[in-house]
Amino acid sequence: MEFERFDQPEKSDEFERELRQAMERRPAPPSLKRRILQKRSARRTERHHTTMIWWQRVAASLLAGAVLAGGFGWRQMEERRKGEEAKQQLMTALRITNQVLNNMNRKLAEHDRGEK
Amino acid sequence: MAQRWQPDFEQLVDEHQSMVFSLAWRMTGDRGLAEEVAQDVFLELDRHMVRIESPEHALNWLRRVAMSRSADALRRRRVRGVDLWVEIEDKHGAPVEEKQSPLETRLEQLLSTLPEAQRAALVLRYQEDLTPEEIAATVEAPVATVKSNLHRGLKLLRAKATTHLKEYIRGI
Repeated sequence: MEFERFDQPEKSDEFERELRQAMERRPAPPSLKRRILQKRSARRTERHHTTMIWWQRVAASLLAGAVLAGGFGWRQMEERRKGEEAKQQLMTALRITNQVLNNMNRKLAEHDRGEK
Repeated sequence: MAQRWQPDFEQLVDEHQSMVFSLAWRMTGDRGLAEEVAQDVFLELDRHMVRIESPEHALNWLRRVAMSRSADALRRRRVRGVDLWVEIEDKHGAPVEEKQSPLETRLEQLLSTLPEAQRAALVLRYQEDLTPEEIAATVEAPVATVKSNLHRGLKLLRAKATTHLKEYIRGI
């Protein structure tokens, strides 16, 4: 098949030889390397800057999270403390009421005995 | 144990800038666009440096990415509605900086009028001296398609040269 000759460069004809010669690599512009290195350096700086900003955002998020968690924890502790305090006050009130009722009960009993 | 190859970016640019630039120029037909493509290709190489395993890998990687970035650039220009071939005609009419014979200039001009796939196959074949199998691996196409593109591209180019370059070429 005619395609097979592409596997055998020695079979190329005069036209292909001319074409090969015409298509030699062209020299790159002298400034190309400098521009590539400049862009590379600029990108690295930008990437470094972006990374720094990213880390700053992570740190700020962590700090905000810690503050929120701390606030939430403090609020819970405060509510628990207030609950305990209210419980203690209620217990004290109940004890006082109990004492008063006991005293009244005793006085009523004494009064009943006096009448008999 | 064999020491792992350590790529040097600047050295790779030195060695391959001419290859990347020439592929991009011949594929896009636009010097300015070819410079942009070459810059992008090397900046992408910089991002992929850790994955490059050997000098051959670097060369093949650069060829493959240069071809695909050139195709992308052409597509973008088509989408933007720029009449590339009119621009090419203009640019080829202008004086060329490098020392090129009139025949070489005219052949490149004719090459730029071929369909993209045929042009890619011919550029890789005659600029880079690749076999159809290597071209197929570079452009990620079946070998049979590459051989067909080479055959048709060469036939079309020969026909165009017969009309336009008869006075220059003996082997038409």
